Amino acid sequence: MRALAGLYLQQFKTTMAMMFQYRAMLAIWMLGQVLEPLIYLIVWSAVSTGAGGSVGSYTTRDFAGYFVVLMLVNQFSYTWIMYDFEYRVREGLLSFALLKPVHPIHSDIADNVSSKLITLPAMVLIAIVLAFAFHASISPQPWAILVFIPVLLMAFMVRFLLEWTLALVAFWTTRVSAINQSYFVLMLFLSGQIAPLTLLPQPVQVIADLLPFRWVIGFPVELLLGKLSPVDALIGLGAQAAWIIVGYVLLRIVWKAGTKVYSAVGA
Amino acid sequence: MNFFRLLGAYFVVSFMGEVAYRVNFFVQLFQTFLNLVVSLGGLAVIFSYTDKLGGWGPQEILALVGVYFLVGGLIGLVIQPGMEAFIESVRDGTLDFTLIRPEDSQLLVSIGRIDIWKLIDILLGLGIMTWALIMLGQKVGLMQAGMFVLALAAGGVIIYCFFLILATLSFWFVRIENILVIFQSMYEAGRWPVSLYPAWLRYGLTFVVPIAFATTIPAEALTNRLNLQTLLGAVGAALVLLVISRIVWRVGLRHYSGASA
Amino acid sequence: MMQPPPAIHIKDLRKVFTVSQQDSGARAALQGLVKRRTIQVAAVDGISFDLEPGEIVGFLGPNGAGKTTTLKMLSGLLHPTSGEVKVLGYIPWKREKSFLRQITLVMGQRNQLVWDIPAIHSFELNRAVYRIPPDIYRSTLDELTELLELKPLLNKPVRNLSLGERMKCEIAAGLLHRPTVVFLDEPTIGLDVTMQRRIRSFIAEYNQRFGATVLLTSHYMADVEALCRRVVVIHHGKLLFDGDLSALVQNFTDHKTIVVRLEDCQADLKEYGEVISCEDNQFTLRVPKAETARVTERLLADLPVIDLLVEDPPIEEVIERVFAQEKP
Repeated sequence: MRALAGLYLQQFKTTMAMMFQYRAMLAIWMLGQVLEPLIYLIVWSAVSTGAGGSVGSYTTRDFAGYFVVLMLVNQFSYTWIMYDFEYRVREGLLSFALLKPVHPIHSDIADNVSSKLITLPAMVLIAIVLAFAFHASISPQPWAILVFIPVLLMAFMVRFLLEWTLALVAFWTTRVSAINQSYFVLMLFLSGQIAPLTLLPQPVQVIADLLPFRWVIGFPVELLLGKLSPVDALIGLGAQAAWIIVGYVLLRIVWKAGTKVYSAVGA
Repeated sequence: MNFFRLLGAYFVVSFMGEVAYRVNFFVQLFQTFLNLVVSLGGLAVIFSYTDKLGGWGPQEILALVGVYFLVGGLIGLVIQPGMEAFIESVRDGTLDFTLIRPEDSQLLVSIGRIDIWKLIDILLGLGIMTWALIMLGQKVGLMQAGMFVLALAAGGVIIYCFFLILATLSFWFVRIENILVIFQSMYEAGRWPVSLYPAWLRYGLTFVVPIAFATTIPAEALTNRLNLQTLLGAVGAALVLLVISRIVWRVGLRHYSGASA
Repeated sequence: MMQPPPAIHIKDLRKVFTVSQQDSGARAALQGLVKRRTIQVAAVDGISFDLEPGEIVGFLGPNGAGKTTTLKMLSGLLHPTSGEVKVLGYIPWKREKSFLRQITLVMGQRNQLVWDIPAIHSFELNRAVYRIPPDIYRSTLDELTELLELKPLLNKPVRNLSLGERMKCEIAAGLLHRPTVVFLDEPTIGLDVTMQRRIRSFIAEYNQRFGATVLLTSHYMADVEALCRRVVVIHHGKLLFDGDLSALVQNFTDHKTIVVRLEDCQADLKEYGEVISCEDNQFTLRVPKAETARVTERLLADLPVIDLLVEDPPIEEVIERVFAQEKP
């Protein structure tokens, strides 16, 4: 356990050193993370204004709040492992990872957590500015704020486990970018990044309930916006917990199968 | 004509290379389909709550989405892959192999990698445009078609120059492949008419990241709302950028050959 | 006393890959979309050898002979198709942590160091990964820094290092945990002669100090000559030779080289053997092994010889012949 802590500390230092090398890159990357929700914020504000100030249960100011919070939640739960894995397999870096006496997932966890810690302050600042600029209304009850923290952490865990598992597809095929993009397109639509899910047709909402996407983005956002009842929050937490279990089991199975394939075919 | 000969040669090579990864063909097909579903689904959701967006009706926005797919396909077909390959080659030094070839290096770099599956997006974009025009019940006259083609060409050139100038920065800065990744999320903005956005963003999407030229202006030509001044402005901007990007490329190349051992 | 168990044990090792085939031409390419022809290729085809603890063995073969595949099976990256592999008593592909902590694989053409930051960060990372106690880490690092002269390199971003400098850091990163079995795949590839020599003497030094078992592949015979008494030669996945380097020369050459110094280059020595060169009045002759004694005698009797030397042909030449004829 202590050795693992040492590993995390070291990985954190390495990530810091790399981030420092690429400050400009980091800034550009964050700009992208901001822009997408901003576009939908503007589109929905226009729709809402055109429709007389509200759409469904969302006022124009609610939309602003929704997409500003979404930006933060997405930033917090986002991983780029799927792109990275393809690169690792292509460059033969995975061989080095497999030669190490530590499961490679640990360095990825440490890497993701530390890069989030580094970018979070800037994102919070941007979110505050945007919230004022678009007159966002965010009005959670105190309990929702308390629940929001573990919900956010669990959202990250769900996404991390599922995306790490999906990244392992690189073991079977070295060109996975199309699969990655398909995943992100689904994520875009069914997580609530295009529109609050309650505005979508009923059948789509049912599908979204059954898939993990809404629980990692839409649910935390609605919670902080004050749109959910305590019962809704409990259901969401349950769904997150279930997906963490599913993700963990899948990861174990796929990792085992993947390394087997890798050691049969080589790189 | 040399350009088309080279382009053809690279095209054949990437076609052969890609066919070896047949899974990618089906995955790309699936992915384009998903992308379409999201686009149309998004439009359907939005237009179930309103009937005009930034002054554009649903069929007009659909025509814009067609242009969006078409131009996105062009970017993904040759511009972006070529520039990504170029940035990589600066990083690992294999650019030298390109530079010793007896051909214009900018040309070689620009068509250096082709992602043939993006042809699917181009075809789909044309299909959506046609569908939208039929739904609009609009007859496309020769004048209008000409304006559209001209606007599209200008937009394509502007986007190409924009990519090239960004990619050329890799001569000075170590790692900028993310700049191109950013363009993808910026390009999302092109799904919607720029008139929708607040002024500062509208200017940004026109003059900083020239997405308006790539999608909104050709779509305006298609839906009969483009005036001649804007079109001439776009063509002028394309020509100016072509010259600027050429100069930046030359300067960058000189810097590169001066700095590397 | 009992023999210690071998550090590396391989028996009838085979690795078969399925390779897909694509013919040229658009038609064939299109057909490839639907149906793919595949063939089975045995990269390693039934080889056996043992390495004693502390041995340095040269592992030779032309490109594509199966060297890297074998090394990957030994380090646990590849699962053998059939046969037996044991390293330090472990079965490599199970990739047990205690096994991984005792081995290293350094590849001259791939790097594990994080490209954009100084090597010392990658070292620290390996310290954490291999759980190297701080004091041992310190002393190993100091030792490696001294032996490989790393001091000025450690704090520069890896991408700014030259190939040779990067290789030194790469080797150091691979040895920080003091592995007892070291696999080196072309560690000197692309380096200049001075750097090759430095790395060579370092490998010898490391082997001595830590009693590590080293299996080394290299295209540079100078590496092999300097480091390895024993060599294992494979070709087309099959074992061609396993034994002393000198025995390799004996087995695979039917010629010797005679170097004769005369007063000038005028003389015609064709009747004594194949004349390879004459520089500075010094002839180099190639003579069948069986006739060496007779030819030497005749040369001394017939000509005003100033100096005469009988040598084995250079190792490069021997290896070339081994690969060319495939079978002894």
